[in-house]
Amino acid sequence: MLTTIPQSRTFKLGYALYVALFFLYLFAPLVVVGIFAFNDSQFPSPPWRGFTLDWFLSSTGRIGIFHDDGLIGSIGTSIKVAVAVTILSLIVGTMNAFLLERAQFRGKSLLFTMMLWPLVIPGVILGVSILQFASTVANGLEDRFGIFIDFLRPGLPLVVFGQFSFIVTIATLVIAARLRKFDMTLEEAARDLGASRLGAIRTVTMPFLTPALIGAGVISFLMSFENFNTTLMLVGSEAPVTIRMFTQIRDGTTPVVNALSLLLMLVMATAGFGLLLANRGGEARRDSG
Amino acid sequence: MSPAPDLDIRGLVKRFGRFTAVEDVTFTVPEGSFFSILGPSGCGKTTLMRMIAGFSRPDSGDILIKGNSTIGLPPNRVAANMVFQHLALFPTMSVAENIGYGLRRRGHSKSEIAERVERMLERVDLAGSGPKQINQLSGGQKQRVAIARCLVLEPALLLLDEPLGALDLKLREQMKVELKQLQAKLGTTFVYITHDQSEALVMSDQVAVMNAGRFEQIGTPQDLYYRPLTAFVAGFVGNSNRWRGTVSAVGAQTRYAAEGGFELIGQAVSGLSVGQPVDLFLRPEAITLSRGTDPEAAAANALVGNVQSLLFDGGNSMAIVAPDRGGGSITVALPQTGDLADLTPGEPVRLSWSAEQVTGFAAASAA
Amino acid sequence: MSVAALPSEGAGRAGLRLSLILLLAPALLWLGLLIILPHIQLLALSLKVKLGPRLYETGLTNYTEFFAESIYWSTLIRTAFISIAATALTLLIAFPVAYYIAKMIRGRRKNLLFVLALLPFWVSELIRTLGWIIILRETGLISLGLQWLGLIDQPVELLGNDAAILVGLVYTSMLFMVVPLVTVLDSLDDTLVEAGYDLGGNGFAVLREIIIPHAMPGIVAGCIIVFMLTLGNILTPALLGGKNSLWFTDQIFQKFIVRFNWEQGAAFGFLLLIVSSLVVWIGLKITRQSLASTMT
Repeated sequence: MLTTIPQSRTFKLGYALYVALFFLYLFAPLVVVGIFAFNDSQFPSPPWRGFTLDWFLSSTGRIGIFHDDGLIGSIGTSIKVAVAVTILSLIVGTMNAFLLERAQFRGKSLLFTMMLWPLVIPGVILGVSILQFASTVANGLEDRFGIFIDFLRPGLPLVVFGQFSFIVTIATLVIAARLRKFDMTLEEAARDLGASRLGAIRTVTMPFLTPALIGAGVISFLMSFENFNTTLMLVGSEAPVTIRMFTQIRDGTTPVVNALSLLLMLVMATAGFGLLLANRGGEARRDSG
Repeated sequence: MSPAPDLDIRGLVKRFGRFTAVEDVTFTVPEGSFFSILGPSGCGKTTLMRMIAGFSRPDSGDILIKGNSTIGLPPNRVAANMVFQHLALFPTMSVAENIGYGLRRRGHSKSEIAERVERMLERVDLAGSGPKQINQLSGGQKQRVAIARCLVLEPALLLLDEPLGALDLKLREQMKVELKQLQAKLGTTFVYITHDQSEALVMSDQVAVMNAGRFEQIGTPQDLYYRPLTAFVAGFVGNSNRWRGTVSAVGAQTRYAAEGGFELIGQAVSGLSVGQPVDLFLRPEAITLSRGTDPEAAAANALVGNVQSLLFDGGNSMAIVAPDRGGGSITVALPQTGDLADLTPGEPVRLSWSAEQVTGFAAASAA
Repeated sequence: MSVAALPSEGAGRAGLRLSLILLLAPALLWLGLLIILPHIQLLALSLKVKLGPRLYETGLTNYTEFFAESIYWSTLIRTAFISIAATALTLLIAFPVAYYIAKMIRGRRKNLLFVLALLPFWVSELIRTLGWIIILRETGLISLGLQWLGLIDQPVELLGNDAAILVGLVYTSMLFMVVPLVTVLDSLDDTLVEAGYDLGGNGFAVLREIIIPHAMPGIVAGCIIVFMLTLGNILTPALLGGKNSLWFTDQIFQKFIVRFNWEQGAAFGFLLLIVSSLVVWIGLKITRQSLASTMT
């Protein structure tokens, strides 16, 4: 079963057909979501009742996505959360990477294993553990000292911390993997040429890490934007878009969620391809000559 | 009073735990010279160089650059710059940015940096290559960028840590010549460390041979080759036939009984007594080889034997000869004129060499 | 603690200590405040038994209640069972595709197909699940298609059952199976497969004796991840399984958010954590790997 080993035509054809079916299965739900964003019907479902742009544009009667203040606002909320999670994860992830790759101290391998734990703890559990811990702390402070701390109650700050608690692991792994490939003599060369210790890191090491920082940033943003399990447990009155869409879909919705989904898919696709092209461009430049 | 030498090292010692990497090393490098430190890997030469560059601190001793002690200075404040073994060119920067790096750290103005970088590029024959990326350069060009990056800072001395090690053989030969010419043209003091004796001999004004943390000998390349002071230098620099033996007679000439039953006659050496174990060295090119079966009567040392095998390597071709009396074998350089190019294994030959060519050193405690 | 940690000794020991402490601080704050203390607290909470308003005692009641009430433990077993089925199905579907991508095609087409296989997973799980709802619902594509073909004369509801949950879970897990499988199969030397044929093996023998043993680390890694994710999934069962999906994470959610019985919810959460960790641990033991080696 290799390109180099002759196979019967039927086998080859059958195999290729299977793979084709697989990809059909992979893309069918996405295509369906996209198509029914244009259905002239109250429900995101067949039968097809004709083409309309109402679910994007309409502002009277049917509410299109561009006029659905609730959904638009929830996207804003998601972006706010995702930006906060991304910034936090990049900062802490970079520091963790230096800690893991550069420092020597007792208990380092234990610390590394502990950093991986958040990836094997179900998101729901991460959510509830942080929820009840924050509440216990908040209750304690309230009872003992009469201090009210709002950000320990369900709401966006807790959502940010909850998502950060496992996304930072991924950021750490991505950045540490790149830092491991860094040639230490480059930093020594910078020192030799007159750079201070931090100056060498800023001018030589960080530019080397930039691709990993961009990659980790994109992944962190996406994971935060799409997170559901942890967010569900920590969310307060202001809901990110995943939570809001979930409620709408569960309780019955108009095709406005399809319209929103299509827009999100287009943004993802554009961003993804942009990143891919930028990457390839960079590699091509590096390969030439 | 003569000006302070560019580099003055006094009684330098560096230990790692119980291991002594550099043991009481003292030397000076005069301004404008090409100074090499030659030694096998693990001899402490890299440790020595890292101390000079400020990357590690000696346990005792002093390092003076242009008369100023650098002990305790961080590497960015030491007036010596380093060309790293794998060059360590910054991959995220262009050629010009690499060369301008140190100037930017010193806070020079943009226009001044641009001008000095341009001038430096011209001096190393890379004019116009400023905007190129590092990986667009050939091995030799990278070498020159690494040197230019240091020289643009006008350091008191340039440290080079086996920068030719990573190059292939052809390029290495070419770069040896190029480096030597570059140094002569620029007039900067070079301190070069290497384990490759040919690099050291070809390029240097002075060479220090280092072994197990100590300097065995400092001298010109000719000194080291023709007048080695220790068995290690004799063995490490150039090729030699080498025997263990004992002193059998002293006087106007010294006679040695080598292992395997040879008798060797060398020059008078002070400090050797009869019966003392010695290490004996004889260079392959010091031996005269000719066809025939009778020993050469006029030479101090003469013997006959058979060609055991021939190692053809162009100008470096050798014959391995098995002497008739005694065991072992002797490696002999074939004359470069090609006179004996038709020699075949098994042929009888005679060998002879003068007493000056035999070098004997009191053996270190027999291992 | 060794000084060789950092390249130059210029900064001295004190500086080194300080930078170590500065680097260590965010990691310790993160793990301490967001992972370790919350889980210790969760355990403590699960051992609290409510006697009256603001009156608690320590005990195992929350756990004993779980085993006493069949609806609870049967839900956990059911969840685990469906998760195992989903994992097995995902493996069966993904393996041939992964092998095709890794070994049957080359160059540009291979990269394209691999990227194509990852692409749907850039889109949120919610959107993908919405797609399945449109396909499976009573007025959905399949129901409509079957009616149009004349195979059925009444609309058929395909949502709200275990099969629908399974379809959604398998779909949503596909990425986490395909990636480790492609990676591990890519590292299989073609000549080993060729030698297998050369020495007289047929396709099945080569698959069983060469390809699968080589792919085992990838298979186990993929299965662990998929099982863990399906067990902890809450979105897919809730949307495809209908109101009574009887999914264990949903019960935790109910206890915490709807019933506000946190003590019981904490006990359930801990049980889920134990089952999930146990699976990861067994998987690692089987393959003789450590968490660190699988992740990096």
